Amino acid sequence: MAFDLVYYLPLFMFAALGILLFSGYPVAFVLGGVGLTFGFIGMMLDAFSFIQFFSLQSRIWGGIAESLVLTAIPMFIFMGTMLERSGVASDLLHCLQVLLRRVPGGLALSVTIMGTVMAATTGIIGASVVMMTLLALPEMIKRNYNIPLATGTIASSGTLGILIPPSIMLVIMAELLARSVGNLFVAAIIPGFLLAGFYMLYILILCSWKPKLAPPLPEDEGPSTAGGIAAMVLRSFIPPLFLVFLVLGSILFGWATPTEAAGVGGAGAIFLAILKRRLSFSVLKDVVERSALTGGMLFGIFLGATCFSYVFRVLGGDFLVTDLIEHMGLGPWGLLLVIMGLVFFLGFFFDWIEITLIVLPVFAPIVAGLDFGDHVPQREVVYWFAILLAVNLQTSFLTPPFGFALFYMKGVAPPEVRIQQIYKGIIPFVLLQLVGLGLVMAFPDLALWLPRVLLN
Amino acid sequence: MELLIRVSDGLDRVITKIGKIAAWAGLALILVTIFDVITRRFFVLGSTKLQEAEWHLHTILFVFCLGYAYLKDAHVRIDLVRENLKERTQWWLEILGCLFFLLPFCGLVIWFGIDFVERAYSTNEISASATGLTHRWLIKSTIPLGFTLLALAGIATLLRKVVELFGPEDLRRKVHEIEEAEVEHLDEIVPTVLRDQDSPPRNGETR
Repeated sequence: MAFDLVYYLPLFMFAALGILLFSGYPVAFVLGGVGLTFGFIGMMLDAFSFIQFFSLQSRIWGGIAESLVLTAIPMFIFMGTMLERSGVASDLLHCLQVLLRRVPGGLALSVTIMGTVMAATTGIIGASVVMMTLLALPEMIKRNYNIPLATGTIASSGTLGILIPPSIMLVIMAELLARSVGNLFVAAIIPGFLLAGFYMLYILILCSWKPKLAPPLPEDEGPSTAGGIAAMVLRSFIPPLFLVFLVLGSILFGWATPTEAAGVGGAGAIFLAILKRRLSFSVLKDVVERSALTGGMLFGIFLGATCFSYVFRVLGGDFLVTDLIEHMGLGPWGLLLVIMGLVFFLGFFFDWIEITLIVLPVFAPIVAGLDFGDHVPQREVVYWFAILLAVNLQTSFLTPPFGFALFYMKGVAPPEVRIQQIYKGIIPFVLLQLVGLGLVMAFPDLALWLPRVLLN
Repeated sequence: MELLIRVSDGLDRVITKIGKIAAWAGLALILVTIFDVITRRFFVLGSTKLQEAEWHLHTILFVFCLGYAYLKDAHVRIDLVRENLKERTQWWLEILGCLFFLLPFCGLVIWFGIDFVERAYSTNEISASATGLTHRWLIKSTIPLGFTLLALAGIATLLRKVVELFGPEDLRRKVHEIEEAEVEHLDEIVPTVLRDQDSPPRNGETR
């Protein structure tokens, strides 16, 4: 049989994308350009016609512009940026530090808690790891913390953001899978807090066992009277926590759609900044412009990925993938593991945005049709899969030698921090992640129980 | 070469200005959403118009910031290989990327985008919902407009790389400085005022 070029064209398309992304040209435009190029190649081979590009316009319009779900994203970005730039985040860290000064590894625990709370508000791995590193690492080094412990804590807590709602990644997944954002948010709560709990338990045990890894803070740190501490908690701890619960709660109890909740979050962040007397016109302008840049970046990739996956589909990519998978003769579990392995590998090189936007549309229809028997009810398979994907991605960002988050961290860490120390520090956390992933795989109810109870 | 720099700076100023103005749509979006939530709860207003205004603002926001983000180098790149390449090679890659990826992609979206707007205009398209917003062609025209800005941002970058590759030494340095000033470095993400202070303002202390 002659080699069927048209049949395998989508595969070449994927390969070309994989190689060209490493040119370092912005991902958004590489996606768009590769889509376009293969559209033209398809035209030469009579597998595509120029007028089919017109549908791209309606996809951009209907899928990205006229979408009330995606409208939540710029507002969540705004909320995160505002909390960060108005100093709410750093005040929270300081407050936690004072509260936990007598607990072994108190500072590391503070970082984890802050990661869990602030996680809720940032969406992009690079940005949140950079922010956490700049805020916490110099402080931990100054207190003579063991460097691998410090970097491991920061990197793992900083990446929790993609999992713990309200996460931008979950909004995008919900849109791509055509499922409810609320359900996905609620499904992510227990796995997210489970991981945060694992981290904290590990830090607590390690630091009680080897106290010299994490020297305690001096007693005179912060206010010493009960009243002073109470005032500090009221000012620094309660407000951001309240805001996050307000956003999550309004979705949970059905008061607001996730998009409206994002608006509430954005307005709440402005209100907190006013409360802290940190809101000036220049801060507001800065936050507005920064959020716009982040949004432009994110939606740029969205636009490029729309072009790529549209051409991929017209060229028969879906068909080819299904065909290849059927030839592998895998059961549902085998298939799930293959997809997980693939995503894990991609996570070494790419942020979640690219992976979610390219991989999810291809695999989602296949996964939705998988039958796991009694293990997972058929109609909940998609939610379970999305959460597994989220945990898996977070793990791959942390896994040496390529973990995406680790490079970002190295980029802004003080020069005395060596990459070997970062690698060494992250290993226990990666192991905890794998335990978490295994648990959600073995016990799907960790993800599925809460939405069932709260939303049905 | 001087002319190339002047043209690219002019484009840059226009695109950045428009981006910075469009950025405020984000704040407007939050305010409209809040207004929508509150009025619906207490006064039971019909809010189809407000909800449509929300995604109108969202569209304006992202579409006009695409080119702005490119000029500020805010678009994600996979830097694993690139950062080990010589600067000249990086500039060549940027030129090739503009010519073969960015500009054709923009061209395509603009080409069909204008078609799309014309159809909406000639049929006088309005919202599918009876109480929605009218003049759909207006918001639809933001897509080709935004991509035009993105293409212009591509051209501005292209011109700068040409100067850096082929221009005389003093002009190269000048362009390099312009670019350096635009791009924000990683360690500036957290404002310096919030860092390195021993502790944030304590409570109990009046300010």
